[in-house]
Amino acid sequence: MIRALRAELVKVGRARVLLVTAAAAVFAVGGAAVVLAAAQPAAEAAAGRGLTVEALSDAGGGTQVFRTAASFAGFFVFVLFVGAGAVEFGRGTFRTMLLRQPRRLPLLIGKTAGLLAFAASVLLVTEVATWIAARLLAPSQGVPTEAWATVSGLVQGLGDYGAVLFWVTAYAVLGLTLAVLLRSVAVALAVGIGWAGPFEHILQDAWDPASRLFPGLLLEAFVAGGTPQVSAPRAFMTVAAYMALAAVVAGASFARRDAVA
Amino acid sequence: MFARHGEGMTTDPRSDLTERSREPAVTVQGLTKRYGSRVAVDHLTMTLPRGVVAGFIGPNGAGKTTTMAMLLGLVRPTSGTGTVLGHPLGDAAAYLGRVGALIEGPAFWPALTGEENLRVVATLAGHDAGRIAEVLELVRLDTRAADRFGQYSFGMKQRLGIAAALIGDPELLVLDEPTNGLDPAGTSHMRQLIADIAGHDRTVLVSSHILAELEQVCDWLIVIDGGALIYQGAADELLGQAAPLLQAAPEHEGDLDRLALLVRAAGFDVERRGGTVSVHLNGDDPRAAAAALNRSAMGAGIALAELNVRRPTLESHYLTLVHGATR
Repeated sequence: MIRALRAELVKVGRARVLLVTAAAAVFAVGGAAVVLAAAQPAAEAAAGRGLTVEALSDAGGGTQVFRTAASFAGFFVFVLFVGAGAVEFGRGTFRTMLLRQPRRLPLLIGKTAGLLAFAASVLLVTEVATWIAARLLAPSQGVPTEAWATVSGLVQGLGDYGAVLFWVTAYAVLGLTLAVLLRSVAVALAVGIGWAGPFEHILQDAWDPASRLFPGLLLEAFVAGGTPQVSAPRAFMTVAAYMALAAVVAGASFARRDAVA
Repeated sequence: MFARHGEGMTTDPRSDLTERSREPAVTVQGLTKRYGSRVAVDHLTMTLPRGVVAGFIGPNGAGKTTTMAMLLGLVRPTSGTGTVLGHPLGDAAAYLGRVGALIEGPAFWPALTGEENLRVVATLAGHDAGRIAEVLELVRLDTRAADRFGQYSFGMKQRLGIAAALIGDPELLVLDEPTNGLDPAGTSHMRQLIADIAGHDRTVLVSSHILAELEQVCDWLIVIDGGALIYQGAADELLGQAAPLLQAAPEHEGDLDRLALLVRAAGFDVERRGGTVSVHLNGDDPRAAAAALNRSAMGAGIALAELNVRRPTLESHYLTLVHGATR
């Protein structure tokens, strides 16, 4: 498992990926600008839409910007992990890996852990970059930032980081499971995009329990800190159950199915 | 006669090998793989001695790749047992560290360089990454190590696949159609490469449909068709079974009938093919037979424009084997 993790880090640690990381950080800074620009005083803000100036003024305001900006990218993160898993089947590189690491479950766990370790580092860089950008931009939007650089701000920042990391991990597990089951980039992306995009959101409007049952909607609710339909802790628990189920299904499939026809 | 369906595993192509061999590199008994109603490998029983370069031959769809995939733990057998380097097939983790393989073509990460790809492979397998430069040089990719895999030609990709297979200094090398898609120069280089990496008690199992290539590098042959074993044994033994052919062509085609009668009168089986007569030499010394034929023709006033002995090729013998097996 450790070897698989290290090998994955060799793959993602190359210079070109670091450039992608830098691009992601720039994107997050842009997101910070959008979130701040959209913030309005509580008295003028529509209920449940966007962050208020007052909320951003709190100790965790700086990293709340990061959490909100990251939530816009949920669909992208999901697609990224579906592609990262399915492409290994399409290219035959899972076969290459299995010839060197025939213990399939440790290979799958190590690969997932490697991707998540990389994602965790990207998130950390992005959170810091977002915080700095938000700190610079906040005065122009009338958002006080005195409380951000406090111990309380740091604690809330860690909490926001953990929440976004869990959110990314859930997308990773669900995306990789879809990839392992379908083994085709095109099919896995079509199913994943179809489900997480139109299907869940159409049903959300037509069927009330959808918000409490569908993984994509639950993840949106979790990273937003809860919605009127489902609280953040309940969303967390339900998503964790989905992740456990997905991990078992993906592990069983990967361990048993032939790697070549 | 030929060893058929697992019989007669008595010939070791390297006389000094027997003592060094502690156990065969590969043994399988009744190995079977079914995909629904289709049988890809059908009760295959074979043994691969240590230290040989073995050609794994069969027509497309014969079950070569599936057999190799089962040996490498990629495909789960439907039934049957076997060992690789002394360990049971079901425990691939116990032996794959000592096995190098290239199966179903080279599959690597196109955005990584050749060197980076080998680093991933070495890290995964727990092999010494210090050997990367050595194997890249061996496959003549050292000057292109910093180029991305996606920019490699097909031949270079195949060579990187061989390099990846060699990085752990394996005892057993399994190569599935390594010359597939290569141009003549690439094929020649691959053949030389296989010859170079054989030896040092290393066993090589290589499948190919270019039999002339295998004939030049292999000292052991395994022939399968329809998922079942047709032949296994020393390459020399297989080729030694086939009678050479003496071919003669008279200067004037009008003498062809007389020449054929002369040969037949001497007690040989004769066949007319175009402007030549072909004489089957069943146990006769080809050189003496050619001289006798030349003398007889001269005595009868027939000038020979061509006279040559054709040795049996692996391809001709393989076709006989497979044709005979399917008839």
